[in-house]
Amino acid sequence: MLNLLRRYRELILVAVLITLPLGVYFARSKRPAEQTLADRLLVQATAPVERLVGWAVVSTLRAWDGYLALRGSHQRAQAAVLESARLKLEVQALQQERAENERLRRLVGLAESAPRRDYLGARIIGARLGPGGLQLLTIDRGSEDGLGRAMPVVVAEGVVGRIHTLTGHAAEVLLVIDRNSSVAVRVERTRVRANVRGQGMPDLCRLDYALRADDIIEGDLLVTSGTDAVFPPGLPVGRATRLQRAAHGLFQEGAVIPVVDPTRLEEVLVVISGARDPSLPPAASGPEGGR
Amino acid sequence: MRLAAQGLAAVLLLALQAALQRHLGGGAFTACLLAPMVVHQVHSAGNVEGALGAALLGALLDVAAGTPFGLHTGLAVAVFVGTRLVGAAVDLRGPLGFAALSGAAALALSAGAVALQRLGSAPEVRPGWGLLPRLLTEALLTALCAPFLLRLLKRLDAWLGSEEPDLIG
Repeated sequence: MLNLLRRYRELILVAVLITLPLGVYFARSKRPAEQTLADRLLVQATAPVERLVGWAVVSTLRAWDGYLALRGSHQRAQAAVLESARLKLEVQALQQERAENERLRRLVGLAESAPRRDYLGARIIGARLGPGGLQLLTIDRGSEDGLGRAMPVVVAEGVVGRIHTLTGHAAEVLLVIDRNSSVAVRVERTRVRANVRGQGMPDLCRLDYALRADDIIEGDLLVTSGTDAVFPPGLPVGRATRLQRAAHGLFQEGAVIPVVDPTRLEEVLVVISGARDPSLPPAASGPEGGR
Repeated sequence: MRLAAQGLAAVLLLALQAALQRHLGGGAFTACLLAPMVVHQVHSAGNVEGALGAALLGALLDVAAGTPFGLHTGLAVAVFVGTRLVGAAVDLRGPLGFAALSGAAALALSAGAVALQRLGSAPEVRPGWGLLPRLLTEALLTALCAPFLLRLLKRLDAWLGSEEPDLIG
């Protein structure tokens, strides 16, 4: 017996190295992904290199933009001044509408003006979007900058994802397009509820739990409902497409085209607080997400 | 010593891969730079050392990809064994054979991960085979990067002073 073991020891070791990890995987595969020490160590080890490469690329591009690509910059500057003036006017109009909106909300008793949000800008320094694993982006801010786990990450166009792994000066963002990511949404037009779940593809998500009788049509904008207690309400997530209503069943099937393409992002905003405006009188405060 | 140096090189490669993917296509196209390292084990290490090295690389892949521990670890060792078997028929020392096997290894790793996750994951998070085009693109890009990595890995071997084991292992 011992001779047999000695004779085939290499074969046995290799077989153990294949079967043992796979056994561990199958034993733990249904547990939700959690941040481990190994995750933090890897982010800590890789973030400086990612930062360095990013610095080199950005410096090269800046040198190009600053010295070699200045042709036509005068015309572009003039166009930018005009655009800026137009945007200022738009901002003024929006501020007036916002103030009016606040007044009307207070009048109807909902008050609860949208909770004041603080944002922290972050630059993307790494992308891990391999098809076999989680869909992650690395950003150059971490717990030392005030970030916490599960904080929402957004851009002007809509939702990007939430913080997954944190170290002192870097963090990984789990994208909306990841299979483990599910966002509670409403159809902006009809206010009906559903969920958007990623599929591991940058350009397509799945529409979950949309009732068969719900009024959803092709192209409907889906916004966060806020009921998942992660994302603030009202942020665009995607547009409904490929809707199918089977003859039977409780739910309709559909896909969602995300409004944010994670492969084109340069910077993001982390929502670091959703605290209510402390200046509001207590009577004016309504239930969270009380629409 | 060799395993530690290999682990360090793998972490550096993972960082470089993430940073380059961010700046080249934003992650729309991915490559698995650790797959060529697994293939390289075949002609730079014996059976036991190679299998241990592959397991280490797989464990790093698990951490980097955020998959549960064991998925890529077991797959990487299986890919190492598969490459060892195929390696007798393919010239692994030449860039072409190395690139082809690296592409195949990347495909085996990611397709294997998808297949095992379909078996092991909860129904709502099971990956679909709609990912196939991305898997193939990843394999192709890995094969394109492999010859450059082969040079680096040979330099690392020379620096560590490791001798190539005989073909029988």
